[in-house]
Amino acid sequence: MSELIKVKQQGEERCEGVSYQDLLNDEKIDVPAYLREDTNPYMGDDDISVDRWISRDFHDQEKEKLWPKVWQMTCREEDIPEIGDHHIYEIVDQSIIVTRTGENEFKGFINSCLHRGRILRDNDGHADEFVCPFHGATWDINGNFKGIPCKWDFSHLDEKDMNLPQVKIGTWGGFIFINFDANCIPLDDYLSPLPEHFSRFPLHDYYKGAHVQRVVQCNWKVGAEAFMESFHTLETHSEILTFTGDANSQYDTFGDHVSRSVTPMGIPSPHLPDVTEAETMRDILELSGRMATDSAEGHEMPEGLTARTYVAETNREMFSDIIGEPLDHATKSELEDAILYMLFPNTQVWTGYHGNIVYRFLPNGDDHNSCIFETMILLRYEKGTKRPDPAEKNILRPDQAFSEAPEIGGLGPVFDQDDSNMAAVQKGMIASRKGAVSLASYQESRIRHLHQTIDKYLNA
Amino acid sequence: MTTTADTLIAAIDITDNQTVAVTLEGKNILICKANGDYYAVDNQCTHQRAELTGGRIRNCYLACPLHGVRFDLRTGMPKGELTRVPLKTYPVSVAEDGNLHLELD
Repeated sequence: MSELIKVKQQGEERCEGVSYQDLLNDEKIDVPAYLREDTNPYMGDDDISVDRWISRDFHDQEKEKLWPKVWQMTCREEDIPEIGDHHIYEIVDQSIIVTRTGENEFKGFINSCLHRGRILRDNDGHADEFVCPFHGATWDINGNFKGIPCKWDFSHLDEKDMNLPQVKIGTWGGFIFINFDANCIPLDDYLSPLPEHFSRFPLHDYYKGAHVQRVVQCNWKVGAEAFMESFHTLETHSEILTFTGDANSQYDTFGDHVSRSVTPMGIPSPHLPDVTEAETMRDILELSGRMATDSAEGHEMPEGLTARTYVAETNREMFSDIIGEPLDHATKSELEDAILYMLFPNTQVWTGYHGNIVYRFLPNGDDHNSCIFETMILLRYEKGTKRPDPAEKNILRPDQAFSEAPEIGGLGPVFDQDDSNMAAVQKGMIASRKGAVSLASYQESRIRHLHQTIDKYLNA
Repeated sequence: MTTTADTLIAAIDITDNQTVAVTLEGKNILICKANGDYYAVDNQCTHQRAELTGGRIRNCYLACPLHGVRFDLRTGMPKGELTRVPLKTYPVSVAEDGNLHLELD
């Protein structure tokens, strides 16, 4: 047997339980093509040095070569609904004023006065013009220089370009993205195939129903990786195993910037042999935090139905009522599975018809040992009614538990379990004598994919 | 002439998220309406003394039009780093005749 064939077989090992693609064969509704994608090119099994999570040098390389080059999600369009509204987006030591300049037009300005360098805007808010709080140099919201007091003292600036420098800006799904690199690839190319895969979930029409943020004592990548594999469910979230297909999740990579995990729900873990359909149904309603109802009270499993089907149909009915339109075309998978996409480098978005979770992991300023973890929940609202205002960001103190944020419901206790690992991973990596981590070939392949793409940027 | 506090302005004349500046006993005071409730604060930002008239109101927060400091209209407390000094607030009620009644010190 040639070496090549042996390697290929290693990369193709899978859990013996029912596969996600098998579950799709049970759908009564036409399965859309994006769910049939099953793509995970083998990327190798080498250990990965802990340096990339714990060393200052690696953080500095990211600061120099990663963040200045990637498209990054800054905020939602709905966060700055009126012309002149702006959001201050900060990444490592950079600051951008993301401003709405027209009904559907946005600009991103370097947040630094061209006179003495003070940041121009300290906070999110609204402005008719940007007046520097230090000496009063002023720009209109399109970044055109309007003047400075004592103009007689600045005749040497007449020949200079005094308009505010801008970054590239683009939108998708109601999110606003920026890129510091004037020669970057277009956002549409960078996002592909995300827009196509989300065509059934028009996120620009969703509103932000919750937004919770907290500092976590780990590198931003440790945080992101906590949500990129379902392998940890067995040990970390054992209470959800009665309704979670953990070991038989599917993992996909699409080009350099997008990857996906699909964790089947409404079926028991392959690790648990003796779970009844009634137990699966009860637990998923009570514990998942993502179903149309969070109580199993009054729900009886009808004879002959599986929990997966019963819960999907319950979701179909209740989600349809909430959004005011039928969901006849939705597969069971789309109605209940955990279908989670990552957009490189630090944004993760779930599919779904009502209650799409979004994660973002930002370095905590210039500190490589802590990060800012944010969760948003995007919701639909009844067709034809006024779009609800987006939720204000709830910034938890570092000593608060996620379960103290009632707006994220059942997710809070799950995040607290993840939180108990995140800072501990950072600490353990620093203490490690091995100095490297070993990844599962398949279940942790998205983590390897993330790092291979980071390397492409750092080595470019 | 000093305007008396309780015949100042008809409550109905102020709409949500609107600010109205009045002079009361020599003080420049801003009356605001947010989420259906009325508030009165000193009409001078504690950051760099700009008038707050026309500042945008959202969710009980009034933003200074000049540099954007946000104040909680309920308490006067500022958000962010630009100032730590709260805005002075005055109790407001709607009198039986429909006019706003302010309690000055």
